[in-house]
Amino acid sequence: MGPYLKSEKDTSTIMRHLIVALIPIVVFAYIKNGIIPFVKGYTNIFGMFYPLIFIFICMASTFFFESLYRIIFQKKKIKEALENSYSFFPGLFLGLILPINTPIVLLILAAFVSSIIAKMLFGGFGNNIFNPALVGRLFIISAYAIVIGKSGGYLNSYEIDTISSGTPLTNASLINGIGTYNTLVKPYGSLMNFFIGTIPGCVGETSALLCLLAFVYLTYFKAIKWKIPIFYILTVFSITYVIGGMNNLGIWYPLFQIFSGGLMFGAVFMATDPVTSPVTPIGQILYGIFLGILTVVFRFLTPFPEGVLTSILTMNMFVMILDKIGSIARFNFKVTVVPFVIAWFLIFGLGIGISLNLKNVKKDKNFSILEKNVSGSKISYVVTQKGYSSVIKARIVIDNKKVYEFTVLEQNDSFYQKIMDEDYTNKLILDSDIDTVTGATVTSTALKTMLKNTLEDYGE
Amino acid sequence: MKKIINGIVFENPILVGMLGLCSTLAVTNKFENAYVMGICVLVVLVLSNFIISIIKKLVPENVRIPVYILIISTLVTIIEILLQKYVKNIYNVLGIYLPLIVVNCIILGRALQVASKEKVIPSVLDAIGVGLGYTFVLMIVSLFREILGSNTLTLMDNISSLTGYKAIYKIFPSNDILPINLFSKEAGAFLTLGLLIALAKYIGGKHESN
Repeated sequence: MGPYLKSEKDTSTIMRHLIVALIPIVVFAYIKNGIIPFVKGYTNIFGMFYPLIFIFICMASTFFFESLYRIIFQKKKIKEALENSYSFFPGLFLGLILPINTPIVLLILAAFVSSIIAKMLFGGFGNNIFNPALVGRLFIISAYAIVIGKSGGYLNSYEIDTISSGTPLTNASLINGIGTYNTLVKPYGSLMNFFIGTIPGCVGETSALLCLLAFVYLTYFKAIKWKIPIFYILTVFSITYVIGGMNNLGIWYPLFQIFSGGLMFGAVFMATDPVTSPVTPIGQILYGIFLGILTVVFRFLTPFPEGVLTSILTMNMFVMILDKIGSIARFNFKVTVVPFVIAWFLIFGLGIGISLNLKNVKKDKNFSILEKNVSGSKISYVVTQKGYSSVIKARIVIDNKKVYEFTVLEQNDSFYQKIMDEDYTNKLILDSDIDTVTGATVTSTALKTMLKNTLEDYGE
Repeated sequence: MKKIINGIVFENPILVGMLGLCSTLAVTNKFENAYVMGICVLVVLVLSNFIISIIKKLVPENVRIPVYILIISTLVTIIEILLQKYVKNIYNVLGIYLPLIVVNCIILGRALQVASKEKVIPSVLDAIGVGLGYTFVLMIVSLFREILGSNTLTLMDNISSLTGYKAIYKIFPSNDILPINLFSKEAGAFLTLGLLIALAKYIGGKHESN
């Protein structure tokens, strides 16, 4: 029994409920990464069972390393050492939060880091400060990002063929997190796909629906601290709602932010870890709020696409302080209110601050408007955009949000003939999201962004 | 002899005293940098302890820290100029951490704790022990960090202008897993040093209970 657990239920009941809640997620991961690619003919029979093998290797290696540690350093008998019933748990979580294409050697290394360095060296179950599975993932992701990227990254064999970009958040971080519905959500289907979980991501973290079901189940049986996920997700939702509102984005934007990446999975399973989270109610609420704030900061203000992992590990360090605030605040109204006021100021200030900051960044430096003539709803522009080897100058006429004319006036790009052959500018008029021309990718991308930038200016 | 072993093991400045961690984390990405840094600190430590233990009776109690700092910084400047003259490359690599030896807590700590109280020979022996302890830990940390982080072992590279030899060895055949670039960055330094301190505490605890 962990020393931080206060409920009357013992640890084994909680762990049993956790396993039950994780079964659908494992099954979903298996269907998404194993069965669907197999049925569509992208992988062989081994690839079909690979997700299960993947998770099993993680579990087996954490079990093995922890037992070995107990035999060598704690001088336990072999039978005693094998009876440590929770040593496979970090491995199970680790298997669910790593990219599917992680090489097996790295899996075993991650299992070693999470079970030995993050758990046993701190004194074993109940004494670890940091969430072991997250430490393992952090080590692998920060040390071997290139190796994982080379072997395929986050996308399974079916997704590599059907989706041309990376995970939704990688895609979003390329354009500073602010984009339209078409650029952020469209490439992966609709928001429903985000909710169900058929989007690229780590093995088991993509399904928001199953995470919510698991949350309801675990809360019903009182196996997790329900305040942490609720306040975590609400905070992320409200900050991104403010950011979206400042940038004229609809309600889909905060939903996109909370359904993508590991937020749901992290909030339900990682942030509520019984050992590394606060026990006092007010401590838990503050923990959730600060997790949300940190996640948004990491997502928007750092070059990394995802911030759930880092923010949970960061807040793990403050659990003691939050518990102290929580226990004082029980009897003191002033102490209860002050942190909340600070937190809410941070939430709205941050939302406004980030969106103001991003608006400045968003302007394309290579794009400029030379002329702009308005006549009724019709606006005719003369714009320039930097192309491959020269600056392209073009006249674009927009009427009622529709492109009316797109004529290139001046250019000196070496592969421009290809564009002429393909009649690319006329294709762009009909559909501004059309694919670029191979052989003249830079020029065609420049034309495309030129049109996009002009349309954006028209929208304003 | 007892004093030297005491400095290396029981009063090891890094593993037991947790002093001078800044330079330990910063310069240990190469084995060569580590031992050159260690030797610099060793020399400064021995000379400063020697001088301070001689003049300890001349210095009034309430101005001793400024005086000691002055002595230490003079010594560090001399070392710095010598390195700049004879081994320019390593002077460039060590950069700001060389002048920062002045504020390295090990040196002032030993000056206040030992040299201002004891006689000349014991305080010099103590300085040798502590300096060697510092150097050994730096060498161990950098050994792990360099082999894991860049898959090489640099015995002599930048100091070859002094010795005339170059000695850089490749340890493992290159593959996907090694080198782990993380270890040549700051995170790897913290990880290695933390594990080393944990090991030292483990061994120390065992020793005490026996």
